[in-house]
Amino acid sequence: MSRVKTTVDFIHAWQRPDEIAEEVEAELSFHVQMRTSANIEKGMAPAEAQLAAWQSFGDFDRVKVSCCEIKRDFPFDLKPIKMGLYIAIACLAGAVALIAVNLPHHTPFGVLWQLIAIAVLMRAFLIGRKKQDNATK
Amino acid sequence: MIGQRIAQISGDELKIEEGSLYPGLYRLERRGWIESEWDVSANNQRAKFYKLTRAGRKQLIIEEQNWERLASATMKALRAN
Repeated sequence: MSRVKTTVDFIHAWQRPDEIAEEVEAELSFHVQMRTSANIEKGMAPAEAQLAAWQSFGDFDRVKVSCCEIKRDFPFDLKPIKMGLYIAIACLAGAVALIAVNLPHHTPFGVLWQLIAIAVLMRAFLIGRKKQDNATK
Repeated sequence: MIGQRIAQISGDELKIEEGSLYPGLYRLERRGWIESEWDVSANNQRAKFYKLTRAGRKQLIIEEQNWERLASATMKALRAN
């Protein structure tokens, strides 16, 4: 499945949950129906064949809920997105620091930039340290 | 049907609860290893058909190698005792 199709399916699953649930139910019901037919072909009575089909399938509702949840799960690995976010924060911190260094320090605007630079650098440092702690655990 | 096919090719050694296959199939599809489409089955009913994608075939080879490595290591450990 291409990334585009995956994204479209993901959005569709959130926009139209009922439609997805119906589609999943249709697929699972078809499975039970096919199994019932196969059991009848093996010589079982229709009622017995259907009961055996439901038993071999397991918990229909649980499977249905599980399949619908998978359809609604975020379809991509979050690691590259998070990594991109950290790089963006680091770039922003660098840019803010560069601007702060080049501004006159005695004006209110310069002081404001310095405070922003300190806040962004602190944030980047804290995120980096948290990531490092998580990696060493 | 996939469950029956697994039982058939494994000589009835692998019997799984058929419903449990579906969450697995949905996850494989989400990862792009299989793809599905609704079509008409041999008995003229609307059914969903699954097939391996190119990425899925590559992943299958990797998984086979991983499994062989794991099975071989397990056997070595068992025989050592």
